[in-house]
Amino acid sequence: MSLVPVDKLRRIVGAQHVLTGVECSPYTLEGRTPAAVVFPATKEDIAAILVLAGAEGIVVTPWGGGTKLGIGAPPERLGLVIGLSRLTRILEHEPGDLTATAEAGVAFGALQVSLATRGQWVSLDPPRADRATLGGVLASNSAGPRRHLYGTARDLLIGLTAVMADGSIVRGGGKVVKNVAGYDLPKLYIGSFGTLGIIAEATVKLRPRPDVDRLIVARFHGLKDAGGGARAIMASDLVPAALDLIDGEALRAIGSGEGGAALLIGVDGILDRVEWQCAEVSRILGPLGMVEAKVLDGEERDDTWRALGELGRREFDDVAAVMKWGVLPTQLAEVLEHGGAIAQRNGLRAALAAHAGVGIASAVLSGGGAQSNAVVATLTEWRAMVLASGGHALLEWAPLAVKERVAVWDAPGPAARIMKGIKERLDPQGILNPGRFVGGI
Amino acid sequence: MPEPRKKSLRREIEALLGPNGVLSDPEELLSYESDGLTLFRALADFVVFPNTAEQVSALVKLANREEMPFVARGAGTGLSGGCLPAEGGLVISLMRMNRVLEVDYENQIAVVEPGLVNLHLSWAVGPQGFYYAPDPSSQQACTIGGNIANNSGGPHTLKYGVTTNHVLGLEVVLPDGELMWLGGKTRDPQGYDLVGLFVGSEGTFGIATKIAVRILRKPQAVKTVLAVFDVVDQASEAVSSIIGRGLIPAAMEMIDQITIEAVEDAFGCGYPRDAAAALLIELDGLAAGIEGETERVVEACREAGAREVRAARDEAERQALWRGRKSAFGAYGRVSPAYMVMDGVIPRTKLPYVLRRVNEIVATHGLRVGNVFHAGDGNLHPNILYDPRKPGEEERVVAAGGEILKVCAEVGGSISGEHGIGLEKADYMPLIFSEADLVCMHRLKEAWNPTGRCNPGKIFPSRKACVEVGAAYRPHPIEEKGLAQRF
Repeated sequence: MSLVPVDKLRRIVGAQHVLTGVECSPYTLEGRTPAAVVFPATKEDIAAILVLAGAEGIVVTPWGGGTKLGIGAPPERLGLVIGLSRLTRILEHEPGDLTATAEAGVAFGALQVSLATRGQWVSLDPPRADRATLGGVLASNSAGPRRHLYGTARDLLIGLTAVMADGSIVRGGGKVVKNVAGYDLPKLYIGSFGTLGIIAEATVKLRPRPDVDRLIVARFHGLKDAGGGARAIMASDLVPAALDLIDGEALRAIGSGEGGAALLIGVDGILDRVEWQCAEVSRILGPLGMVEAKVLDGEERDDTWRALGELGRREFDDVAAVMKWGVLPTQLAEVLEHGGAIAQRNGLRAALAAHAGVGIASAVLSGGGAQSNAVVATLTEWRAMVLASGGHALLEWAPLAVKERVAVWDAPGPAARIMKGIKERLDPQGILNPGRFVGGI
Repeated sequence: MPEPRKKSLRREIEALLGPNGVLSDPEELLSYESDGLTLFRALADFVVFPNTAEQVSALVKLANREEMPFVARGAGTGLSGGCLPAEGGLVISLMRMNRVLEVDYENQIAVVEPGLVNLHLSWAVGPQGFYYAPDPSSQQACTIGGNIANNSGGPHTLKYGVTTNHVLGLEVVLPDGELMWLGGKTRDPQGYDLVGLFVGSEGTFGIATKIAVRILRKPQAVKTVLAVFDVVDQASEAVSSIIGRGLIPAAMEMIDQITIEAVEDAFGCGYPRDAAAALLIELDGLAAGIEGETERVVEACREAGAREVRAARDEAERQALWRGRKSAFGAYGRVSPAYMVMDGVIPRTKLPYVLRRVNEIVATHGLRVGNVFHAGDGNLHPNILYDPRKPGEEERVVAAGGEILKVCAEVGGSISGEHGIGLEKADYMPLIFSEADLVCMHRLKEAWNPTGRCNPGKIFPSRKACVEVGAAYRPHPIEEKGLAQRF
C-alpha cells in the first residue's frame, strides 16, 4: 500500500486539519487505524483529496458522526479517513417551498433544531441524531419509528451533490419536490455506505412540525397479543406516525416495565386528531388483550423514543451483536418470538424491537462473555430463520471475532452484477471504502 | 430491413408468440409510430405483444442477437416521446400483460403486470377500502409499467409522493435479456437502491415485467374547496399562505382564465368565466379535525383576496368541482385547433414570477397559453395554443417551450416534473446538469445498457434518432374517445 502523502494533504486543507500517527486513534475502525485523517472545509477540498488518493492508490473512508461505521465487512486496510465535521453549514432553508439544503457534515439533530425555528422538520427520526450527520444518515439509510407514516430517506431526499472517486463534483436531483429529469442519482447514494462517492450536500423535503406529538405505550402479555394489536391498528382508519412492536427484554431495556410485550404508538398532528386517535387506540386494543396504556408527552416521550433508538447500546453492558431484519409485517410477531427463543436456547439474551408497519426489526443479542460460539450459532440460526421467511438479515454490529465467522450481508442475488457494474464505473480504482459492502463491493 | 430477413424474423416471433402476437405490416405499424407527443414519428420493424416475462426476455435476446434496438411501450400516452420507436427496431408492447397477480391487504402490497391500467389497480383494491396513490391524470389509460418508466406523479404528489415512493420491487428483463428481481416485498433491501434507480429511467435500463407496489387505505374523509381569484398573484399567495399555516393539502390545483373560459365553453362546470384564476384544494385524512382544517384553508384564500370560496358539501359537489379541473385539457379544443403541453417544475414561491414570464414569452411568440398547475408542488403545465395549419406556428411553439424551460432552470427548478425527458427535452438537459453530471448518468446507463440498444436516443443530448418532426397535430385516439386527458 502506498504511503499517504501527508505534505500534499496539508497543502490542501492546512496542517492543523491533518492528523497522523497516534492522533488518528479515535478513528480506529475494526482494529485498524488509518494512516492519516484529513478534514476538508469544502467540497472542492474533498475533490482535491480524492484526486490525490486516486493518483497514489490510497483507500479512502468517509467519516461523519461515526455512528454507523460498524456496518460492513471489516476493512482490509484503512488508508485515509476523510472527516466531514467541517462541512456543517445549512445553505438554504426555504420555508415557503418546504425545502432545505445543507452540507453533509451537519449533525442531523442540529439541522432539525435550525428548521424548528421556522416550525418545520425533516420527517425522519434516525437514532443518535446528536452525532449522526446528514450525509451519514443518507449513506447508511438510517431511519427511526416515524418511518411508519413518513417514509425514509428515499422519500425525503430531492437533491444531492457528491464528490466522485475521480474528483468530479456531481449533482443529481434538484431543489424541487417533484423532478423526473435524468436518472434518480440521489436514490443511488442512499444506503451506499460511501462506496460510490462522498456526499457533500443534500437537499431535503420538509414538513410543518406537528402541533401535538404523543406516545402511547400499550402493554400486552406477550408478542402474540401485541402483534395482533399492531395488525388491528394497521387495518383500522388510524394513521399513527409510529407503530413499534417490542418484546419484554426491550421494554425492560427502555425502562418501561417488566416483561410481556408492548406497542409503542406515536400519534401527531392537530389536537382534535391526536385525541381522537388516542381514544380509538384504546377502543381497538382493549378487547385484544391490552393490559394497560400510558400516554406520554414532552420529555418522557422523547426519552422513551431515544432509549429505544439506542437499544443496541443501553442496558446490556455486554452487547454481543446487533442484527437488522426485514420481513413482512404479518410475519413479525412470529419471527420476534422465534428469535427470542433461539437466543435463549443458546444461553443468551435478546432484546427485539420492530417497526410493525414496515416489517423492519432490530435484534440485540447479549451475553456469551468472551466465548463467541453461542453468539455465532445464534446469529447463524437467526439469519436462516429470516431468510426462510423470505426476508433479509444484516449484521449491523459485532466484534471482529464474530464477523470473521458470520457474514455481515446476506449472499447477494443476481442483481449484484448490476451493483458491481455501477461500482466499477463510478469508482474504477476501488478507492472508496472498498471491500465492506454487499457482494464484496 | 430486407424482406427475406423480415419474413424469417416474423416467423421466429410467431413461433414464440403466435400469429396474433406480432405486427409487421406498415399500415399496422403506423398506430405505434409515436406516443402522446405526436410531433415525433418513427416506424419500427415489428410491434410484438408478449404475454409473459419469459417471452419478453426471449424477445430482448432476439433483438440483441439481431442487433436491433428495442423500445418498451405501455399505453403510449407519454408526452415526451419516451416510447417513440427506434427506427427499424422492435416495439415491445406490454398491453397484454395486464393482470393483477396478487393482493395482500394485510401487508398492503399488490403485485401487478406492467400493462395494467393505473386506475384499474385502484378499482381492483377499492372494494376492500384501498387504492393505489400515484394518480396521473391519464390514469384511465396509462399503465403501471409506463408509470415506472416516468416516475409518474399526478395531483396528489405533495402529500403522497410519486411512483417511486410506492414501488417496493420490480421483476425486470435487463437489456441483455436476463430476468431478475430488484428489491422485493420487504423494505430496505441490501445493496444499492436499484429499484429507485430503475423507476424514472424512462425505459433505458430494461423492461419491468412485474411490479410490487404499496397500496394504501383510503382516507377516512375528504374535503374539497374551490377558490376564485381576480388576480393570479392572489392565487399564488393563497397557496403559500396555506403552506405557511402548516397545512399539507392532498392536492392544490390552479387553472388560469383562458383555461376557465375553455372549460365553461365546453362543459359549463360553474366556474366564473371572468375569474383570473381558480384554485382547487383538496384535504384528506381523519374525519376528526377536517372541518377545522377546511376552515383554515378557506380563511387563507379569503385573506389572499379570493372573490369567492366554495366548499363541497357532499361527494356529488366534490365531483362537480373537480370536473372543471379535469376537463381542462379536453376543453382546449374549444379555443384552439391544437395545443402543446409543456411540463416544468419550479420552487413554489417562484410561481407568480414564472407565470408572468410564461405569459410574456408566449405573447412574444404571437401565441396564447392556458396554464394548469399542480400548485402544491410547483409543477406547471403551460399549454401553448396554436394552429398547426399556419406556417411557422409549430416552430414558434417549440421555441416558446424552450424559453419556458430556461426560465424554470433559472429559478432553480427542473425541466420536467412529470412527463420525463424522452426525446423532447434531451437537448435541454444541459440547462440543469453539468457535463460532469451527464457523464455520471452516462456511466450509470452503461452499467445497465452497455450496448445502448434499449430505448436508444432518449434522455441524453446526443445525435437524434431518425424521426420525422413537425406533422399536423392529431389527438391521441384515447383523447378522441374522451377517456383521458392530456397532461
